[in-house]
Amino acid sequence: MFSQSPSCRYLLSSFYLRVPAFCTGCLSGEYCNYSFFLFGSYIWCVEDDTKEPDFNSTNPASWSHGYVAPEAHQGIVSSSTYIFDVLSAGMSRLQGPSSLKRKRPELNSPVQSLTEHERILYDVIRSKQDIGIWTRDMKKEAKLPDNVVNKSLKALQVKNLIKEVVNIQNKGRKHFMATEFEPSKEISGGAWYLEGSLDTEFIESLRQLCKRQIEKKGVATLEEVTDLINSYPAFNVDVTKQQIEEILRTLIWDNAIMEVKSNGMGEFASIPFGKVCYRYVSKGGLGGEPRAGALASIPCGVCPRISRCTPDGVISPKTCVYYQKWLDF
Amino acid sequence: MAQLHVRKNPTQPSSSVSHSLHSQKPKKQALTTAMVSQYGIKYAVHIITNHFGPLVAKVCDCLLKKGPLPLREIVRYTELSETLVRNCLLVLIQHNCLQPFLLEEEGGFGEVNKVSSLYMVLFDNVLHRVRFSKFMAIVSQEFNKLCVDLIETLLQHGRLSSEQIFDGFRDSSSSGGMEALQENIHKLVMARYVERCPISEPFLALPSEEEAAPARRRGAKSAKVFLEPETLEQRVLAAAVPPEGMRFSFELNPEIGADREKAENSSTGDKRKRDALESGTDGGFVDKQVVLWRVNCEEFTRRLRHKICIEIVRTRLDDEAATVFTAMLNASRSEEKKIKTASSVPLSENSIYAEVIKSEKGRNMTLDYVISVLVGLSSSPPFVRVVDNSYSIDYKHIIEVAQTDEVESIVYKKYGKDAYRMFRLLSKTGRFLETDKVSVTPHTLVGVGLDSLSTVGLANIGISDSIFVEKKETANILSKMWQGDYLQMEKLVAGPTQFLLWKVNMINLRERVLDDMFHASLNLSLRVAYELEQQKEILHLGVDGPMKEKYEKLKKVRFLLESSRMKLDDAIMIFHDF
Ligand code: SF4
Repeated sequence: MFSQSPSCRYLLSSFYLRVPAFCTGCLSGEYCNYSFFLFGSYIWCVEDDTKEPDFNSTNPASWSHGYVAPEAHQGIVSSSTYIFDVLSAGMSRLQGPSSLKRKRPELNSPVQSLTEHERILYDVIRSKQDIGIWTRDMKKEAKLPDNVVNKSLKALQVKNLIKEVVNIQNKGRKHFMATEFEPSKEISGGAWYLEGSLDTEFIESLRQLCKRQIEKKGVATLEEVTDLINSYPAFNVDVTKQQIEEILRTLIWDNAIMEVKSNGMGEFASIPFGKVCYRYVSKGGLGGEPRAGALASIPCGVCPRISRCTPDGVISPKTCVYYQKWLDF
Repeated sequence: MAQLHVRKNPTQPSSSVSHSLHSQKPKKQALTTAMVSQYGIKYAVHIITNHFGPLVAKVCDCLLKKGPLPLREIVRYTELSETLVRNCLLVLIQHNCLQPFLLEEEGGFGEVNKVSSLYMVLFDNVLHRVRFSKFMAIVSQEFNKLCVDLIETLLQHGRLSSEQIFDGFRDSSSSGGMEALQENIHKLVMARYVERCPISEPFLALPSEEEAAPARRRGAKSAKVFLEPETLEQRVLAAAVPPEGMRFSFELNPEIGADREKAENSSTGDKRKRDALESGTDGGFVDKQVVLWRVNCEEFTRRLRHKICIEIVRTRLDDEAATVFTAMLNASRSEEKKIKTASSVPLSENSIYAEVIKSEKGRNMTLDYVISVLVGLSSSPPFVRVVDNSYSIDYKHIIEVAQTDEVESIVYKKYGKDAYRMFRLLSKTGRFLETDKVSVTPHTLVGVGLDSLSTVGLANIGISDSIFVEKKETANILSKMWQGDYLQMEKLVAGPTQFLLWKVNMINLRERVLDDMFHASLNLSLRVAYELEQQKEILHLGVDGPMKEKYEKLKKVRFLLESSRMKLDDAIMIFHDF
C-alpha cells in the first residue's frame, strides 16, 4: 500500500512509518505537533522525531527514541488501524493537488516532429479536450486504417503527447486524451475515483473523520465539519463543502447521524435558527449496527427458506437447522 | 332452515318496488372484509386449534378464507354436520371471535329486498387470545388482586352475565363479599377494561343514495384523494357496539337477590342465541333483561400501544423524556376513543407538568426542565407536535418510526450493511432511483415503465454514487433485495441501453413483513409445542441424573421461545393494530 518516493512527505522504512498525522489521543480539534510512529499495529506519538528509533529494543517506548508525548496525546495504540486508514487516504491523494493543475506541453515540444498521420490523430484526440476519445471513434473520425492508427498512437504515447485514461462509463474501452488535459468528471468519475475505481479507502477515512467530529460536537453544520476536515494536516487535498455533504449523506443512510434543523436552543444555541445541521445518533447500536427488531432477532426473521417452510413440510420448525443453532446453549 | 332469512324489509313495503326491466342493477353490498394475509389466516387458525380443537378451527378457517357466510354455506364448505357447525359457531361467539349480523341486499327486478344472516370471524379478537397475559399484567399494575381475578375469569369464559360472575366468586375467599365484587366490576367498567357485549346480531341496511354517492365520486378521483371506504367488518362492528352510555354503565345493585331471581327466570343472551340457533328462529333479538359482560380488548390494545410508545421514546431518547411522555399519555388518555388515533388531544405545558409531578420520577423536575424535555421530544424525530404552545403526541409518527426500525433491522441482518444503506436511501427518498447516475432524459426513453416515470419524476441520483459502492456490486445487492420483495423495480430501455430504477414501497412492504411475522409467530408456537413434547418424555423418564440437565435446558429453550413470541407479538401489534 505504501511506497517510498522522494517527494513523499511520509518517510517509510520497512519497519516504521513516520507521519505528520493527527493524534487520536487529543481528538479535540487542536492538532498536536507530535509525530507518529507506526510499528506493526502500534502507533506512538512522540515529541522529538529527529532521533532515529531503535527497533532492536523490546521496549516500545524506545522504538521512537524521541520523548514520548505528554499523556494527553497518547490515546492511540488501539486506534492504529484507524490512523492507518487516514494515512492511506492521505497517501492515495499524494498526487492530488498537482494533478489538478493542467500541465502545459514542454517548450521544446515534440509536436513539430510529428508525421502527417500522427498529427491528424493528435488533432482528433486533442480536439476532444478533457473528454478524450475511444479508439474506435478515433479511427472513424481520422479516417485512417487500423494499423496506421495503432502505430501512431504508440508513437504519440512515446512522445508523451497523449495518454491512456480509464473511462469510468466503460472501463473495457481503450480511451485516449491529450496529456495537457486531465480527465473530466464524466470520464474519471469525479473526486471519489482513483484510476477508474472508487477510492474506498479515502472515502471510508473521510467518513470516519466526519463521524468523529460530529460525535464530539453533538451537532455540527456542514461548514463546521468541512473546516475541521480541511484543517487536518493528514489530508493534503482540500475537500469541498459539496464533497463533505456527500459524505454526510452516507452517514445519514448509515443512521450514524441525522439531519436536523436548529431551533436555536440548547445544543443548537450556537447555530442560527432554522439552519440545517447534523446530529450524532448516539443510540445507533453497536458498531453502526441497528438494534435488532423482534423479527430480526429470531431465525425466521432472516431465514432464506421461509417461503418453503411449512408446519409439516421437509423444511419445518421442528426440523429447522437455524432453530437448532439458535437454541443450542 | 331459517338461517338464510329472506324477508320483507320493514322500511320498504313491497308495493313501492316497481322497477322496469331497464332499471339499475340490484345493489349489492360489498362483502369485502379487511384483507388478512395468507399466514395471518394460518396463524389465527393455529390459535383456534390450540384453544378449541380442530373442528372449531375448521369453521374459523372457512370463514377467514371466504369472508362472512350464512350457515348453509359454512356447512357446505366445511362438510361438517349442521349441528356441529352450529356448536362451533356458538363457541366462537362465546369467546368473542365471531359476530353474526343481518345484511340487507336489494332484490332486483321488482323483488323485495333480501336480508341474510351471516357470520363473520373477528380476526383481531382471535389474535388477542395470545395477549391475555399482557392484559392481565396491565390490570395487575393498576388494580387489586380481585380485579385481576375478575379479568381472568372473563377472559377464560369469553362473556358472562353479572350473575354468572357472582356465582363464580361466591365461594372464593378473595372476593370479600358481593358488595366488594360489584364495586370492583364497577371500577373495571369505569376504566373501560370491561364492557357490555355487543348486540348479538346487528342489522346492516342498504346504504342510502346519499351515502353511496360520495364513495363513488371519491373513487373516480386520483388515489390521493381517495378515502378508503369502511370495510364491512368496520361497519358490522360499529353497528354492534352498544350506545356509548350503555356500553360502560354498570349499576351497583344492593339487592343482588332480586337480580338473581330474574336471571333464573330468563336465559342469558347466549342461551337465547343458542336457542335461536337450535330452533332455527330469529337470532337477532337482544335480550334486554340479561346483560353480558366481556373484557374490552380495545382498551387493552390502547394501553399496550401506550406502553410500546413509551418504550420507543425511552430507547430513542432517555428516561426523562419517557417520564414526560408518560405524563402526556395519562393526561390525554380519557379523550381517546379509537385505537388507531393519529395524535392525542393538545395539552398545555401546565397540564403536562401537573401530570408529571404525580409520578415519583417526575417529582424532582422543574417546569423549565419539563419544557426543555418537551422541546427535545418535538425536535427530530418529532414524537410530539407543538402548535401555539400546546403539545400533542404524534402517535402516527411514533408507530411509523417503530415500523421503519423493524424493517431496516431485518434488511441489515438479511442483506448486510451496504444493503441497509441503499434501503434507507431509497425509503427516505421515497421515489424511483437509478442504480447509478447515468443521465436519462425523458425523450430518449422507450418501452416499459415510461408511464410510471411521469408520475414519479425522473431519478437524477444514482444509488451507487450516493452510497459509494461500485456499480456492479450495487446492482447485485439491489436485485437480491428485489428478489426478496423488499424493493420495487422498473426496467427502462433507452436505445440500446437498459436502466433499472428502484424504489421502496413501504405500504406493500409493511404487509409483507407482517405476513412474515405471522409466519414466524406460528413457527415459534409450533416449536414450543415440539419442545413441550420432548419435555413430557423426559418427565416420563424422571428428571434425575443426566436427564436433569436436559430438562433444565429445555426449560430455558421454552423460555426463550415464549419470550421471543411475546416480543414478536408486540411487533405484530405495531404493524397490525396500532
Ligand atoms: S423455522 Fe427455520 S426454516 Fe422455517 S422459517 Fe424459521 S428459520 Fe426458516
